[in-house]
Amino acid sequence: MAIQLKSEASKGMALSAPATLYVGLLVAVPLGILIVYSFWTQSYVDIDRTLTWANYIEAFQDPLVRHLIVRTIIIAGLVTIATVVLAYPIAYFIAFRTKKQTLWLLLITIPFWSSYLLRVFSWKLILGFNGVLNSALMTIGIINEPLTFLLYNEIAVVLTLAHAWAPFAILPIYVSLQKIDRSLHEAATDLGCNMYQAFIRVTLPLTVPGIIAASLIIFIPTVGDYVTPALVGGSEGKMIANLIQVQFGAANNWPMGATLSLLSMLSVGFVAMLAVFTMNTAGRRIR
Amino acid sequence: MMENRSDKKIIEITGVTKRFGSFVAVCDLNLDLYQGEFFSLLGPSGCGKTTALRIIAGFQDPDKGEIVIDGKSMRDVSANKRPTNMVFQSYAIFPHLNVGNNVAFGLRKSGISRSEIDDRVSEALEMVELDGLEKRSAEELSGGQRQRVALARALVLRPKVLLLDEPLSALDKKLRETMQLELRRLQRSIGITFVMVTHDQYEAMTMSDRIGVMFDGKLEQIDRPEDLYARPCSKDVASFIGGMNFLPASLKEESGNVLDISTPGFGDMRIEINSNVSKHGPKLLTGIRPEQLEISAKKPSDYDAMAQGKVVDVAFYGESIHYFVGLDGIDEPITVAVPNYFHTMDYQRGDTVWLGVQNASVIDLGEIPDNMKD
Repeated sequence: MAIQLKSEASKGMALSAPATLYVGLLVAVPLGILIVYSFWTQSYVDIDRTLTWANYIEAFQDPLVRHLIVRTIIIAGLVTIATVVLAYPIAYFIAFRTKKQTLWLLLITIPFWSSYLLRVFSWKLILGFNGVLNSALMTIGIINEPLTFLLYNEIAVVLTLAHAWAPFAILPIYVSLQKIDRSLHEAATDLGCNMYQAFIRVTLPLTVPGIIAASLIIFIPTVGDYVTPALVGGSEGKMIANLIQVQFGAANNWPMGATLSLLSMLSVGFVAMLAVFTMNTAGRRIR
Repeated sequence: MMENRSDKKIIEITGVTKRFGSFVAVCDLNLDLYQGEFFSLLGPSGCGKTTALRIIAGFQDPDKGEIVIDGKSMRDVSANKRPTNMVFQSYAIFPHLNVGNNVAFGLRKSGISRSEIDDRVSEALEMVELDGLEKRSAEELSGGQRQRVALARALVLRPKVLLLDEPLSALDKKLRETMQLELRRLQRSIGITFVMVTHDQYEAMTMSDRIGVMFDGKLEQIDRPEDLYARPCSKDVASFIGGMNFLPASLKEESGNVLDISTPGFGDMRIEINSNVSKHGPKLLTGIRPEQLEISAKKPSDYDAMAQGKVVDVAFYGESIHYFVGLDGIDEPITVAVPNYFHTMDYQRGDTVWLGVQNASVIDLGEIPDNMKD
């Protein structure tokens, strides 16, 4: 028995070894390097290797950093909310209202067949000064001159990312809806709920895990995204990742870049935990 | 059996038909249910009994026909507004709610105070013997407890009719037998009409005041369990409820309420006309319950009809022993059930035995069905 257990354990170790090695080398080690870098400082072209809080103090004192982190979290929050709100009805439709579920799931992944960059650019084409939307509105005579508030701001970032992330939200919500026993909905109806009440009191709380998964999958990468804000965000839509990119690139201040990365990771972690806790509590309070 | 039903009709179902595509799930269902009775819809799977129950509950609209509950037509009344509540086959306990909140689910609407909800929930839980388990989470419940929560959740709303869809099928045999008696006792004590769907004939017989037997969407017979057993209206009903030996017979004479018949094996018999049977012809079908036959080594003297045959097989059931006896002129061996009084199996395969039966034990099943004619 003991021998068997030992071999079970070693089998488990052997199975998880590649993943452990992968995570260790490609996540833990770089993260360690990042932490160490954040306590060094840049002096002209050299790196001063004395450990110091100088970068953190500078970052906290800089109003731009604070502003960018807050804006990043707000934009990421808006993207998350917009995506989940748009994805939920689609997931609901696929889970309950159609028999061609495989076809619909396939259709949803179609945008992924083209590159992420192309999709961001296509939004630029749609929202731009001479873009599809403006030309269309002008052709049918609703506006006389092109709308300028469409592109190069937060709205454009939210719109572009909400579209890009949609499948990531639809899939986890679809899975959590799919798992719900149909008879629960009937039971709620039998106990006096109309369709809306049955949704609020049974379906929605049971899909909280799916909503949380979708939110995290969207919120976290959005905070780190710098391509979309750079392409469609303009100066208003710049996010913390753009600043980090500058530190590692043009500004050539890797220690500050590392500090900003860690600060944004910490704030994302904090906000995400807070959101998960709030959603869980809200889900449990529905009776 | 003591009856606690009144003469007041609580549900009147007239001409209800339901089709799914070309499949007729329920065909021209006519049924009156009375206040306070325990009624079972019994039938094999796919016979339409669950569809019928779901039509009463309002989960499905009938294509034709009408349902009246407590004097009110349910034509435009949706499921959430009907005075019925349901115990689902899967129990449908809300997994995100604890026991107390599951039971309180239907009570949480405007107009009912929190303290009244609490009182009614604990009263309902007491009724199903789960008192004090309000805080238990739904995931921690056993199968039997889930069933009780489902019952309490439905009964706490004081429905006019409680609908039960195969309520015991998910439980193991022992628990099922306990719950059969318990459900029956509960129903008697609260006096609410119960309508249960089941495919288990024993369950239906032990629990119900009346049983409706359904085949292929049609209600074949509605009767008290003992009448259903003694006077089934057709071969289908007879074979679905209890064991039955079928004997084709030819009619010699019909006079008053008796039939003089001649059977292969048992010879001439005089049997009573079964009032539930509609048609008689020159060729009849008769039935004998296995426990109504006597088996003995010597020719018995005090039976109306006798036959000699050979034991072809023996099956031991614990409380009874079944002997399968082949008779000349009959294809299927006759099943004889003997109570296991002395823990002995008196006859072996190959033994020559005598079977005896009284005329009163032979059931008239009317004109022989087409598929049994030669």
